[in-house]
Amino acid sequence: MTGIWYIVGFGVAGVSFVFLTIGAAWLISHRNRGDAHKGLPYESGIDTFGDTHGRFGLSFYIYALLFVAFDIEVIFIYLWAIVFRSLLLGGFVSMLLFVGILLLGLAYAWRKGVLTWR
Amino acid sequence: MTVVGRTWDRLTIPGKILAVVIPLGAALTAGLAILIAVVGGAVVQFLADNLPLVRFVVAATIVLLMTIPSAFLIIYMEMKVIALMNLRYGPDRVGPFGSALSVVHGLKVLMKEDFTPTGADVPVFTMAPVVVYMSSVLSLLVLPFAPGLFGQDFNIGLLYFFAMGGLTVVGLLMAGWSSFNKYSLLGGLRSAAQIVSYEIPLTLSVVGVILLAGTMSLNQIVLGQAGSLFDWYLWRQPLAFVVFFIAVTAEANRTPFDLTEADSEIVAGFATEYSGMRFGFFFFAEYVNVFIASGLTVALFLGGWNAPFNWPWPVTVGLDPGGLGIGLLLLLAIGPPLAIVVLGLPFYLLNSRIRFWQALVIGFVLFNVVAVGAVLGLAFLSFDWVVGLLWFMGKTYAFVFTFVWMRGTLPRVRIDQLMGFAWKWLLPAALLNLFVTALAILVLKR
Repeated sequence: MTGIWYIVGFGVAGVSFVFLTIGAAWLISHRNRGDAHKGLPYESGIDTFGDTHGRFGLSFYIYALLFVAFDIEVIFIYLWAIVFRSLLLGGFVSMLLFVGILLLGLAYAWRKGVLTWR
Repeated sequence: MTVVGRTWDRLTIPGKILAVVIPLGAALTAGLAILIAVVGGAVVQFLADNLPLVRFVVAATIVLLMTIPSAFLIIYMEMKVIALMNLRYGPDRVGPFGSALSVVHGLKVLMKEDFTPTGADVPVFTMAPVVVYMSSVLSLLVLPFAPGLFGQDFNIGLLYFFAMGGLTVVGLLMAGWSSFNKYSLLGGLRSAAQIVSYEIPLTLSVVGVILLAGTMSLNQIVLGQAGSLFDWYLWRQPLAFVVFFIAVTAEANRTPFDLTEADSEIVAGFATEYSGMRFGFFFFAEYVNVFIASGLTVALFLGGWNAPFNWPWPVTVGLDPGGLGIGLLLLLAIGPPLAIVVLGLPFYLLNSRIRFWQALVIGFVLFNVVAVGAVLGLAFLSFDWVVGLLWFMGKTYAFVFTFVWMRGTLPRVRIDQLMGFAWKWLLPAALLNLFVTALAILVLKR
């Protein structure tokens, strides 16, 4: 009963806890289908118009791309940090190079004005 | 049949209740006794053979159920502390100092109508709060509360922690997408962009701690800070602490970074279309997140369960009663009456309606409570996990207070400032901290 089974078992326990609570709430709360207006999306009282799942600004997408690049870098850095005491100078220099290359990407994005929210 | 029916009709309501409850209770007791007699030995044997399973069940139950009182406590703290900061009274009706108001809020949310709007993607709509809640509770699994008191100690604990915490983004995007509402979708994307941006400085700032500790196990990291106040990583990683604290505030969606919810600007963000208990779970998760963020800060930078000074825990009470001689007799003879009078006197002096003998009775009760409390307290404090838990909870709630304090004080930042700050300031600062720490280890060789 170690490792992965703890996580799996805990996840199952947690999800069932949430669904039990939601189920209990469903049982004791009052329910009413209402008329057609009740189910409309809330848009400050105005009738909804236009496509809901329409197009949105690209800045969300670029942040996600930057995140992927740096988050994978973080995994490498974590492993490097654990074994750093046996790598010493070589490890330091190689990590400097590795992060330097990634920072070039960040500098490029910065220069392009991606990091400024518009 | 009619005889029974007529007798039943003659009974009053308490009588009816008793007539049902007593036979039912007797039957249940008898059944339980028979069950224990038949299979009790086998069950005990099974549990003894599968102690890890027992440990898992106990740990899962405690970790899951401890979220409820801590969320209630944090909600109450938030209402009361902010009210006091605004020179208001805050909650003061339900329970002592209004402390039961958050429970009332919880019950109210439980009984509210849980509505699904038309056009919503129902399975995703229902799963979104589950994902958000689970992401915070799963990361609670590795938080070390006290020596020997943790869900599970993984050697990749910190990575696991951030991985599970990162699942929040999925839940928020699910909520935003499935609601079929433009505000929800925008709010979901906004919060995803915010959390994703602050994830980078958050994860990078703790690399310094991993470098110092040489491990990702949260337990080992806390053990590495044993000793006095100055062995905490806070002093060796001040920049990392600042970056981490700012990033963790943004991760937990707290003011000044609460643009996810921003109740006065964008309707309610991703939670616009939610109501009832599904809405409740989003905010339940938010308050659990506050607790987790504080707990992680304490575990990483403030020594976790370690006391801030070298204290000879566990306490050994080395009192030799014989050594006191006649003093012991005096202590036993004079101590209790004196304590009773001293404890009862304030009631007599402050309330003119209480007579002296009534004050003495109050004093006697109080003295017993104090004596039993002192003995039990000493006995408990000699267990180091109790002391560790006390220190951990004390530090954690100090941080929870800081979060509430920030909410009472700081204005909300603008979204372009928010995103720019993460990428242009916190990320370079975290990388700088990483290399300075590595260089220091390289040069100092320790």
